[in-house]
Amino acid sequence: MNDSTMFLIFCGALVLFMTPGLAFFYGGLVRASSVVSMMMMSFGSIGLISILWMIYGYAVSFSNAGTGNFVGIDGIIGIDLNQIGLSGLVGDPANTDGSQLAFAGFQGTFAIITVALISGAIADRAKFGSWMVFAGLWATLVYFPVASWVFNFTSKDGVVVDGGWLVKDIGLLDFAGGTVVEIASGASALALALVLGKRFGFRKGMHAPHNVPLTLIGAGILWFGWFGFNAGSELVADGTASLAFVNTLAAGVGGLIAWASYEKLAHGKPTAVGAASGAVSGMVAITPSCGFLSPIWSLVLGLIVGVICGSAVEWKFFLGYDDSLDVVGIHLVGGIIGTLFIGLVGQIGGVGVGLLQTGSAAQLGKQAIGVVVVGLYAFIASYILGWLIQKTIGFRVKSTDEIAGVDLVMHGESAYSKSDPRWSRSN
Amino acid sequence: MDQGNTAFVLISAALVLLMTPGLAFFYGGMVRAKSVVSMMMLSFGSLGLIGVLWVLYGYAIAFSNGGTKDFVGIDGWFGIDLSYIGLGAQVADAADPSGAYPTLAFVAFQATFAIITVALISGAIADRAKFGAWMVFAGVWATVVYFPVANWVFNFTLGEDGSVVDGGWIVNDIGAIDFAGGTAVHINAGAAGLALAIVLGKRFGFSKGIMQPHNVPLTLLGTALLWFGWFGFNAGSEVAADGIASLAFINTMAAPSAAMLGWIFIEKLKHGKATSIGAASGAVAGLVAITPACASLTPLWAMVLGLVAGILCALAVDLKFAFGFDDSLDVVGIHLVGGIVGTLFIGLFGTGVGAAFGFGWDQFIAQAIGAFSVLAYSFIASLLIGLAIEKTVGFRVKAEDEIAGIDTVVHGEEAYAFGADRG
Repeated sequence: MNDSTMFLIFCGALVLFMTPGLAFFYGGLVRASSVVSMMMMSFGSIGLISILWMIYGYAVSFSNAGTGNFVGIDGIIGIDLNQIGLSGLVGDPANTDGSQLAFAGFQGTFAIITVALISGAIADRAKFGSWMVFAGLWATLVYFPVASWVFNFTSKDGVVVDGGWLVKDIGLLDFAGGTVVEIASGASALALALVLGKRFGFRKGMHAPHNVPLTLIGAGILWFGWFGFNAGSELVADGTASLAFVNTLAAGVGGLIAWASYEKLAHGKPTAVGAASGAVSGMVAITPSCGFLSPIWSLVLGLIVGVICGSAVEWKFFLGYDDSLDVVGIHLVGGIIGTLFIGLVGQIGGVGVGLLQTGSAAQLGKQAIGVVVVGLYAFIASYILGWLIQKTIGFRVKSTDEIAGVDLVMHGESAYSKSDPRWSRSN
Repeated sequence: MDQGNTAFVLISAALVLLMTPGLAFFYGGMVRAKSVVSMMMLSFGSLGLIGVLWVLYGYAIAFSNGGTKDFVGIDGWFGIDLSYIGLGAQVADAADPSGAYPTLAFVAFQATFAIITVALISGAIADRAKFGAWMVFAGVWATVVYFPVANWVFNFTLGEDGSVVDGGWIVNDIGAIDFAGGTAVHINAGAAGLALAIVLGKRFGFSKGIMQPHNVPLTLLGTALLWFGWFGFNAGSEVAADGIASLAFINTMAAPSAAMLGWIFIEKLKHGKATSIGAASGAVAGLVAITPACASLTPLWAMVLGLVAGILCALAVDLKFAFGFDDSLDVVGIHLVGGIVGTLFIGLFGTGVGAAFGFGWDQFIAQAIGAFSVLAYSFIASLLIGLAIEKTVGFRVKAEDEIAGIDTVVHGEEAYAFGADRG
């Protein structure tokens, strides 16, 4: 089908655009002396994870036992040797319309942004080289296998007949990656925040965003790209893709309004950063559920996560982990809520599967298994990886470098020349 | 259902959604550094609120049709289809779409139009509006003005010969041509902007040349996103990727390019220098003017329209100093004037309908009725809503807050904190 190839190519481009968008979203939130470093962790992920994806990532994530070249344990971890370097897709006479290759490109952008998301937890204080080592190992050991648990499946008449163990054996519903993208990155961010420790002067109100417009630029681009992320996950442009699109809008706007309202009530003023964070948290929550909810329930989900994530980002100050840009509060918490929400009010093609419609907690239990398994696996693996890197080559910069600002030390660049009038606060 | 069309509508919707953040940056760069957060939040706030209202009842009003069993209201004027509330009927359609694309795709596409139309108004009240009061205005205005007016213009059914056989009164009874929203979007927002500029009054120190843009690159970034998204806006309005969509796309390139040149030419003549803000404003003026006309003009006439709109809008933005209304970021001069020029231009040079080509003045009159009906309705309604808010909760911030800068007062944020970690 050329139409689905075209749809996947466009959606792949939209999702790829999200990672630069994330770089700006995160970049605006840090200090002016570390914005280059912050953006480079995202751009570095684009470079490295793309390469790994093409060399062996796709071969791991979308390997199926039973094909002649499969090595590994079916549904858990394995690799299709024939797909190394995407060689099985290029020139395959069965794929003359290119849709499988377009799918490989589309899915590559998911791997990239998932890795980049983690970097928000270690702002202002990570060594770039260590981050790149972590990113490569994490993608290999966490993302690629977990993606096969969730995203790799074969359906027949709407029933999953083959694929990764979470989607096939457990029956997890995760439309666009609430577990493998949001929960995995959020849990890993928590692990890295613990490994790297707190920034100097970490407490509430100390780290004001240096460039709010840049953060909103990132939020706008993320929103744009998220339509490709969610609607594109249907793989064809049909009614379900349209539903996923509308739900992405509904949950995003719900999250925006709820977070800003929560801020107004709790702190007296609605902030722009809060509105942007609210929109992002709404879209995080709708990611797993965008194909399984009605627009009204999506709106409700957005409103709920806007409030919960709006308060969850405060936890770090009480519990004392420096999740600098709230990857935990937004992606882990929002991902968990969105994934579980399917177990409450989800539907497939108009048939309810949630607790409220069927009176059975069966689907909710399946969702919970997915949440716990992916969350725990990602957290433990990331903690071990991060700890090993910290003990060997070191993950955190020297304290003097952190105070001076990592941009000059790490990259030899200043984001803004000192002649930029914004350095003077008299504007 | 056609997957190609569906993909086209969905991608176009994503493009148009990006226009509202783009508008936030276009506007944000033009205000002072102490009010850019507020300026952007007027757009982002609209995005949030109007998105919510659209799902709840906006679509049900804008695309309701008399004669269906759940319709309540006056056919073609004001009404709501109760089965569309919360998009229940559209979700049912998505399971097995009956048209060329799922109705939900069209719901998403049109949602982004409602969102940006509301956000456009905010340019008239820069530096001095309360955020909460704006949100009240935005919600009421969308409900009372945008949703019905969108019905008048965008809601129609085509017969087998391609003519309009049912729909809102402007498109069905008057026969006005408005392909992508010169009336419902631009004249509508421009007239509302004029009303609010009058309600809120002038900023302190309002005079020509006083209010310098604080971040020109941010404005140009916004312009680029607007132009990018506008291809989805105009070509997407065909809701099929065909010859008409391609014509609309080409014209969306031709008109703003010419308008940009027209605007900076006027600047060069009047002030001696071509500015980048002028180039950006010129491009937007051309985009505004081609919006209603993008399917009715040949690319050459689209360029003429762009040139005319660029020149007229460049002159029109100085009207506020002559008449003394503080339309801060030129919503009136660009969207109202550009929208009127583009809508009327169809009656003169539209392919197969223009008076200049010997088709008589009927179409021109229809265009004028459409344009001025929307103008009058939007202006009066906005004036009343704005006055009611100003007299009750208050629309404008206190004088000392305006001078101090509303970002810290209203949002508790500073846009830039470059020096914060230096000492």
